[in-house]
Amino acid sequence: MAAEAFEGVKVVEFAGMVSGPYCGKLLADMGAHVVKVEEPPDGDPARKRGPFADDEPHPERSGLFLYLNTNKRSLALDAAQPGGREALARLIDWADVLIDNHAPVTLDALGLGWEMLHERNPGLFLTSITPYGRTGPRAACKGTDMTGYHAGGLGTLLPPRSTDVSRAPVKAGGYPTGYHAGLTAALATAAALFGRREGDGCLIDVSEQESILSLVRGFVAQTVHQRVTWSRVPDRPPAFGRMECSDGYVVSHLVEDHHWRGLVELMGNPDWASGDEWKDYAYRCGHLFEIGHKIDDWARRQKKEDFHHKGAARGFAVGSVYNAEEVLNYRQYRARDYFVEIEHPEAGTLRHAGWPYKMSASPPRIQRPAPLLGRHSVEILRDLLGYSDDDYRRLRRSGAVWKEGPS
Amino acid sequence: MTRRPRRRALPLEGVRVVDMTWVWAGPCACMFLAMLGAEVIKVESRDRLDFFRRYVIWPLADAAPTELSTDGSMMFLSANLNKLGVTLNLGRPEGKDLLKQLIAVSDVVVENMRPGAMARMGLGYEDLRRVNPAIIMLSSSARGGSGPESRYAGYAAVNHAIGGAAHITGYPDGPPGYALGDVDLMNATTSAFAIVAALRYRDLTGEGQFIDYSQSEGVTSLIGEVLLEYQMTGRIPGRKGNSDELMAPHSVYPCWGVDRWLAIAVETDDEFAALCGLMEMPELATDPRFATAAARKRNEAALDETIAGWTRQQDRDYVANRLCTAGVAAAPSRDAQDLFRDPHLRARDVFVEVEHPEGGSHDVVGLPWKMSDCEPAIRRAPRLGEHNDYVFRDVLGLEPAEIERLRREGVIE
Repeated sequence: MAAEAFEGVKVVEFAGMVSGPYCGKLLADMGAHVVKVEEPPDGDPARKRGPFADDEPHPERSGLFLYLNTNKRSLALDAAQPGGREALARLIDWADVLIDNHAPVTLDALGLGWEMLHERNPGLFLTSITPYGRTGPRAACKGTDMTGYHAGGLGTLLPPRSTDVSRAPVKAGGYPTGYHAGLTAALATAAALFGRREGDGCLIDVSEQESILSLVRGFVAQTVHQRVTWSRVPDRPPAFGRMECSDGYVVSHLVEDHHWRGLVELMGNPDWASGDEWKDYAYRCGHLFEIGHKIDDWARRQKKEDFHHKGAARGFAVGSVYNAEEVLNYRQYRARDYFVEIEHPEAGTLRHAGWPYKMSASPPRIQRPAPLLGRHSVEILRDLLGYSDDDYRRLRRSGAVWKEGPS
Repeated sequence: MTRRPRRRALPLEGVRVVDMTWVWAGPCACMFLAMLGAEVIKVESRDRLDFFRRYVIWPLADAAPTELSTDGSMMFLSANLNKLGVTLNLGRPEGKDLLKQLIAVSDVVVENMRPGAMARMGLGYEDLRRVNPAIIMLSSSARGGSGPESRYAGYAAVNHAIGGAAHITGYPDGPPGYALGDVDLMNATTSAFAIVAALRYRDLTGEGQFIDYSQSEGVTSLIGEVLLEYQMTGRIPGRKGNSDELMAPHSVYPCWGVDRWLAIAVETDDEFAALCGLMEMPELATDPRFATAAARKRNEAALDETIAGWTRQQDRDYVANRLCTAGVAAAPSRDAQDLFRDPHLRARDVFVEVEHPEGGSHDVVGLPWKMSDCEPAIRRAPRLGEHNDYVFRDVLGLEPAEIERLRREGVIE
């Protein structure tokens, strides 16, 4: 078996919901040994969130949890108890990376704050993900996926082409802030691991707000320096963006002159779009609203998939707006084996989103489904940390350690 | 322009990257590698200028179009920090040879042309492997390098629609939203992660590899639970605005003034009591309609109306601070100016002032994380061909006379 990219990397994930777990998943899917520490009796709060099969909540059947925790092992540990705290400390001594998305006071209160951890394990990377980062006036403020998205400056752009400013800006669907912060944390952590030298661990401070801000970096620079105002209020020609078709929507983005020519040709070279002036990008930018409604009228008579394929054949960027069912059936994804089928003892077999990177030598892969709560408590304590059977039983009796199923 | 001196080496110091990308997703991926310490050499051509080098400011701020110089686009300057720039004519055999020489002494090549374009130029992975067997090459495209739609064009907004994210973004009663450049930045982060993973794999095994990157798949990988919802319930997830499946209140509320909005999210009863206290309606906290999370969710519409009635009379930033201090998650929906002036972001040195290639200075957003004792200096984006001398003389060891000849003959542009 070929080595994996993060083979030999030992990670403790003291994190719940989306950001920390997605960071852990990205590393685990490429071979890192990730131990997920969950607080009994509920475990990761994602276990309480849907989707659930037939909408029946069940801690082992949350789609959110199942997706974000592949390839990990679960240790159910109550760190508030002395025995639990001691086991957590020993586990962190074992690790190369600790992913933490609690407020910093949580580890501080356990006597496991960054200074202490750095002293105990100088090679440790602490990847800390918080709503606003660990420093600055808002360091202690709470945040959620939605507040982070708006705080970071993306909400103000959505929904695009909104004509009604009496309605609120919105966040993107799903958990965009958590995913982006997890992704950001994974890049920083992977780079730190690549560049590591003996005993040079460090604190990686990831702010959810800044993870979102990073996505709009160009718009911020333009606004500040070039008098451009980026906002959800209509500010661009209608042919750029969403168009309604007879059976759904497409999104197109025309940048180059040949893209424009492709669209004109697809519309059957109507007189109103044939003038030479339209060949000029700047002219189009300033005037497209004059003929935008004609383009929209034409689009409304098209079927979205026709537009999608015929536009592609003419070399411009246009694509159908796909829902979850259409994504799962998308011929391009299927042809590329993008989805991975994962069997789980409680949730059955489901098709998960795969990875956008096809790596010829070290492909990510699924070796185990998301863990049952406390599924690996025994093997982690005994095999990784060297607890004796007696020690383990003591912890188990005190309630500091949990394990799924009957004891 | 230089930050406090760093005390440790940057993680990717010693790694050399040849950046053949343009527009936004590819350049930003290479920029992250550069900010992590890699030496990134952007290879450009005057014949085929990066779109952002010939960008017209839009929306137009002036009556007449403002044509930017090739070095003045804020979009270009934001996507190419910390890089070196060379100009090579790859239509010429000697140009290709020079590129191959450069790749022979590099670790990573990144490109985002249409799939197959590099191979047609004799610069595909197999060709590059011949000059450097351990090379890591990432090819980024809208829909990946294989499959029936591999040659379909795409930009961020289109990838976002195909990937399933547009359908779930927007008001429940409105059309789907669409993305802007943010999706490109996300794909930049993900591609940079894959490249760093490949670098580590090469450290372990000595092997390079080819990475086929699909930008629409990048979008779908961030909505994994949405695909599972359809499989688990048979229901197609739709648009939910700002709402959450469990939390209420969880919305964006209007504040005093025009188009001023505040996001408020309440998870626990204590947080709700704190909100009610600030609203001077403490009785709401024990009102049976709102006393528990489940009750609040059931009566969300009435609750939202009450809260909006209060927020309309409030200054957005003042009340955001009061809520945060009281332990409630609240954030203004910030626009670019709000972000740029935000004292919190300023205290964290999130914005970095760099020299502008045409004089003066401008501010850019730095790295989206802080690594202790490891802050990179942020350098401005290169002018077109700015580092030709350094790269061809110092990296490839060409004689000045040879460089002069290549310039004269239009190989180095």
